[in-house]
Amino acid sequence: MRSHTRLLTVLDRAENGPMLEEREFDQLVANTVRELTLKYGIKYNRQEAINLSDDLADRLFEAGMELATRVGVYCTSTHRRLIFSEAEIREALRFAPGELEIGSGLDRVIIKNRVPEDPRIPANTGGPYGTPLTEDLYTYIMQSYVQEPIIDAVVNGTFATIYGRPPKTHTPWEVLLAWREVELSKAAAQRAGRPGISLGCVENAVTEIGELSGTSYGGFTPVDWHHVCFTSELKTSYALLIKVAHLIQTGCIIHDFCNPIYGGYAGGAEGVAMVAVAGVILMAVVNMSTTHSICPTHPFFESDTAPEIVWAISASQQALNRNTHLLTTVMTSPVSGPGTESLLYEAATIATAATVSGTARIDGVRSGAGVCQDHVSGLEARFNAEISHAVAGMPREQANELIKEWQQHYVPLLDKKPVGQSFTEVYDLKTLRPKDHWQKIYDEVKERLFKQGVQFK
Amino acid sequence: MNRELLDKLQDAAANGEVEKAAAATKEALAAGMDPIDIFENYLVPVMDQVGEKFGRLEIFLPDLMMAADVAKAVKEVIEPSIKDRATIGEGRSCVVLGTVMGDVHDIGKNMVSLLLEVNGFKVIDLGTNVPVFDFIKAAEKEQAQIIAMSSLLTTSMPYMAELIKALEETGKRKNWKVVVGGGPVSPEWAKSIGADGYGKDAREAVEVCRRLSVE
Repeated sequence: MRSHTRLLTVLDRAENGPMLEEREFDQLVANTVRELTLKYGIKYNRQEAINLSDDLADRLFEAGMELATRVGVYCTSTHRRLIFSEAEIREALRFAPGELEIGSGLDRVIIKNRVPEDPRIPANTGGPYGTPLTEDLYTYIMQSYVQEPIIDAVVNGTFATIYGRPPKTHTPWEVLLAWREVELSKAAAQRAGRPGISLGCVENAVTEIGELSGTSYGGFTPVDWHHVCFTSELKTSYALLIKVAHLIQTGCIIHDFCNPIYGGYAGGAEGVAMVAVAGVILMAVVNMSTTHSICPTHPFFESDTAPEIVWAISASQQALNRNTHLLTTVMTSPVSGPGTESLLYEAATIATAATVSGTARIDGVRSGAGVCQDHVSGLEARFNAEISHAVAGMPREQANELIKEWQQHYVPLLDKKPVGQSFTEVYDLKTLRPKDHWQKIYDEVKERLFKQGVQFK
Repeated sequence: MNRELLDKLQDAAANGEVEKAAAATKEALAAGMDPIDIFENYLVPVMDQVGEKFGRLEIFLPDLMMAADVAKAVKEVIEPSIKDRATIGEGRSCVVLGTVMGDVHDIGKNMVSLLLEVNGFKVIDLGTNVPVFDFIKAAEKEQAQIIAMSSLLTTSMPYMAELIKALEETGKRKNWKVVVGGGPVSPEWAKSIGADGYGKDAREAVEVCRRLSVE
């Protein structure tokens, strides 16, 4: 793949780039973001739920590009910055894939880049996104996602225990975690009749150990989608670059993600949007990834559904999708959990904000902010995907008004963290269908949204 | 109340004017102000305001960094003037802090670190991916009162339990209060591993450390 040819350059720059203490890099990011926010006139309008200005989106892209070239990526292992010129970055973006096939056999799906208000429906993934799951429930929970035909690919959960023991990273247990993930996620795909579905992996690979082991003979395959992140803000490490090197050498699809922290070094909504743009650009260069995700995170709610973050997501996605052909993705990460109305309103908000902003694939739902054991289910992922199908092509102004209304249903609850119920409380394990009360909440919310103009397919 | 000093320290903390803060403090000392008075009745309230603003996200982490630098500068000016240094920040202890082994998330931990600093704690920040025994060695070396551990990953949380187990098995458990926090960490988990405190976010972490440091 033409986008995979920079590995030696990346590794050279991690070894030879300018040295800097980590705290100084954090300060550099903070200062540069502040300067560029003023220079490019990036301003968050609290009256709007999502960005409605193409001009602002384009200025945000240029600001993100300047941030990427001036700051670069910090390697925490070598204390050096990987710097790339604007010409190098623009060439990397030019040769980045704008279309991707994942999965195999009858379960192959194609993801295509989109633009804001694009009438083409985005691709959709579903899964617990690293949420810790009880070992005995792992396959059931994963199957609840795979069995939903609207879901194009799934992403795995993590294990609360491994063979009944504490799941400790950076030990031999991480190898066993990775292989348990291989075993049980493939079993879920098989049981659901979709053996070729692409699996988002290796979720239990916190370090390189799990990825190297799980992506080897008999394990995850090149057509699964393998995760490599930046840590906040704009940082990599040898552990992450080892994953990149391994995945490139084995011809695997790399999915990246960066999660700028609201109130952190990026500052407020404007800075979060700018760091998200710079992060995606730099991940495409450094990680040589094919799909690029953001999930800006609130420091107290640990979710991406606070109003400031919803705006930042929409603005950054419009900036990227108007100015590149990258395959962007956004993850729905609500504070609420299964069995609550607020979960569905949070999901509707993110899925709509991202879809009308041109995101190529809508991911999620990481219910309960991904930290509450077993508080996830396939139904909310189905809903997330149904929303994205329904609002594809919707004008941003209409989406803006809908989201403002939906936010009234969940914003007052954010600090209460309504994590709802666990999987066994909302799904019948024998039939693997939602229990009546969870199905009823889903039906009622869907009916309300339909009356508001959401044209479910 | 020296209103001028208070205003200058507030401005300096808001704008990261370290030199201005140091100069104002020197002027106040030269004018005969008691250094303990400067610390307790001027610097601490200013920093409390900063912490409260951050708690409401009216200011952000870079602002907290600037305020922490200002607090450090003021303390450096007044400390030589105090014979009994133990009285500075009495009741606010030394905290050894880090993200546990296998986890490289640092922004949440940095928020806790800076908020502790602006609230008068001495903070030894060990960074991320910190092995269990590095916490203990640092706590011994710095004569800390509190060990605070952060984890955003369920697969790193067992190292929190391992540290407490190591303290118990080496007969050192009484030497330090242990505080835990981070995304997947819950009060129930903290209790189950025998931690002394749990903070759900930076604001709560400071409150817990305050409480534990006077127990």
